[in-house]
Amino acid sequence: MSKVTLTIDGLDVEAEKETTILRAALDNDIYIPHLCYHPELSPSGICRLCMVNADGEVVMSCQTPVDQGMVVKTKDPEIDRLRRTSIEILVANHHASCRGCPGSGPCALQKIMAYIRIDRKRVRRLRLPEEDLPKDQSNPYFDYDPNHCVLCNICVQTCEKIQGALHVIGRGIRTQIAFYGNNADCQSCMECVARCPVGALTAKESRSTHG
Amino acid sequence: MSAKCNALVCLGTGCQSGGAEEVLSSLKEEIDRLSLGETVQVKQTGCHGFCQRGPLVVIEPEGIFYSKVSLDDVSEIAKSLLPGEPPVDRLFYREPATDTPLPHYMEIPFYSKQQRTILRNCGHIDPEEIEEYLAAGGYQTIKKVLLGMSREEVIDEIKRSGLRGLGGAGFPTGRKWEVCYKAQGPKKYVICNGDEGDPGAFQDRSVMEGTPHSVLEGMMIAAYAIGAQQGYIYVRAEYPLAVKRLRIAISQAKQKGFLGKDILGSGFDFKIALFQGAGAFVCGEETALIASVEGFRGMPRLRPPFPAESGMEGKPTIIDNVKTLASIPVIIDQGAESFARVGTEKSKGTVVFALTGKVENNGLIEVPMGMTLREIIFDIGGGIPDGKTFKAVQTGGPSGGCLPESALDMPVDFDSLKAAGSMMGSGGLVVMDEDTCMVDLARYFLDFTQRESCGQCTPCRLGTKQLFDILNDITKGQGRPEDIDLLLEISEAVSTHSLCALGKTAPNPVITTIRYFRDEYEAHINEKRCPTGVCGMLET
Repeated sequence: MSKVTLTIDGLDVEAEKETTILRAALDNDIYIPHLCYHPELSPSGICRLCMVNADGEVVMSCQTPVDQGMVVKTKDPEIDRLRRTSIEILVANHHASCRGCPGSGPCALQKIMAYIRIDRKRVRRLRLPEEDLPKDQSNPYFDYDPNHCVLCNICVQTCEKIQGALHVIGRGIRTQIAFYGNNADCQSCMECVARCPVGALTAKESRSTHG
Repeated sequence: MSAKCNALVCLGTGCQSGGAEEVLSSLKEEIDRLSLGETVQVKQTGCHGFCQRGPLVVIEPEGIFYSKVSLDDVSEIAKSLLPGEPPVDRLFYREPATDTPLPHYMEIPFYSKQQRTILRNCGHIDPEEIEEYLAAGGYQTIKKVLLGMSREEVIDEIKRSGLRGLGGAGFPTGRKWEVCYKAQGPKKYVICNGDEGDPGAFQDRSVMEGTPHSVLEGMMIAAYAIGAQQGYIYVRAEYPLAVKRLRIAISQAKQKGFLGKDILGSGFDFKIALFQGAGAFVCGEETALIASVEGFRGMPRLRPPFPAESGMEGKPTIIDNVKTLASIPVIIDQGAESFARVGTEKSKGTVVFALTGKVENNGLIEVPMGMTLREIIFDIGGGIPDGKTFKAVQTGGPSGGCLPESALDMPVDFDSLKAAGSMMGSGGLVVMDEDTCMVDLARYFLDFTQRESCGQCTPCRLGTKQLFDILNDITKGQGRPEDIDLLLEISEAVSTHSLCALGKTAPNPVITTIRYFRDEYEAHINEKRCPTGVCGMLET
């Protein structure tokens, strides 16, 4: 495959021709906020956070292939303004505090919040969810906490290729990940738990992760 | 009454709900009882248009128009069809201002100002009889196309006509077909999008119910042009009458050899299957619709690739709205130039609206592109009832914008509506009077879109919910001073970043009500007062 050279934040970067901007950036240790991207899955483009300025146009970097001579800026005031609102909405709807969250530490949302320097005062302008949603503890190997879930869909996409046991259910704000009442399909490979970028899917404590 | 006539009973969904089926069967019995069977043919038709006045009975060829017909009126109507008998003038439509009776429907401004092209058969033929469609010139254009036009010529004709998709986006139909025609692959699909989910909209339903064969004929021409062998009609399961009539139409078209193998000896094969949607609004979005037909959860997919290149099962797929497809036979019949003479520079032909809300005449209308909103609402619609004043009109369904009085003289076409902050959408047109609270209205539409968001992408799933929650607070007198700016900020994020058109357009009612009726928001927030008294505030 042929290579192209582009500039990301002033840095010359070489990338394979079909690669997306997001992948080229991450491969070169340039961070772009994202939740739904996983290197082993095809881009679903649903978190809508990975916007960059490519040759003067704001695009989703996970959807846009690199091009020879392309000039990419991962931050500028317009991107920051547009992205900040989406992230604040996400944080406002994130029912849980980070204290005691099993995802805390490697959490992708925490990373994004630090990156944009989230302003809690701005988040408080938004309306917070009224009640916590019940956890789904029906699976013998791991639990699902919808309050922590950012619906990146990585678990569903991962399972699709393995077992197809995880599904998206509901619509709008009630959208969740679920087994559709069919836990028997789960082979407990735990790949979904391993790939969960936040603390939504967590292994049951009493079981080994390869139970 | 003349020697031979047709008594047409409208059996559209609106008239049916008013008891038109009973009127039809009773009129048939009366005609038999009076031994008029030789001269009078009693027939059902699809939607005649003036739904508010239903059930409707029309006597052709004179065009005598009886409205609000009940079972008690049937024997009198039947008697009037005896030789030498006068029509039943008490059932005539009366001009509201002067009380002048207008016996013929073409004298009624609701009809006389319209230009019925897509709806030309609606209300005039029995949609369940292919013979009637054939007698009205139906299936002549598929003959013309299959026996005398190359695929390139068909696409060129549609391109030159200037037809733009009537489902909402207004993309040039011919260009879409051309992309699909050029896309490589032995298997291609044509899909008719009949997933009309807007509250208050019934234009696609009326076309499917009233002239189903026009839709089939349009699909056949599209299939021939792009090289498809299989078509699907995606219709809401909530439209049982449309489902029934489409089923009948498909089976009759098969019997007559318009569908199947080697159609009209041309070597062209084409089948159509019906697919019933389960009620998700988002399935009207083309990629979600395709996912739904494929058996997946109805969620939009990233575009590009566009369906014309990679759609159903990854194959090149044309997906067009019901009315777009029903326009195709008209273009082939009249010729592109004749079609393009109607309309504005960039929006050609006619547009069908479901005219509803606080307007004297509710119903199904068709007007040339470029007619002003004022003509539509005040001439055809008859203005605002009960002596009230006009306040706003919403075009384009729940994601359309609300336009004020100052927009009334704007010509209605794709581009002017968009410039004003609204959209053509699929053809909903809801009129609001002085009693409507614009904040409450925005809240209503956002409640709809936030519930119908597929939940996939962040800005739409969470942004529409935030918009709804904030609007809800404002209508309860719990708005905060910064809320108007916050609504606009969230609206921008949702409309720029959502994955599909549902999210991209959902904030329109919020943005336009703030743009045109900001003082109402301010009264709610700053004075805890609803100027129209619609919102139950804590204090007054």
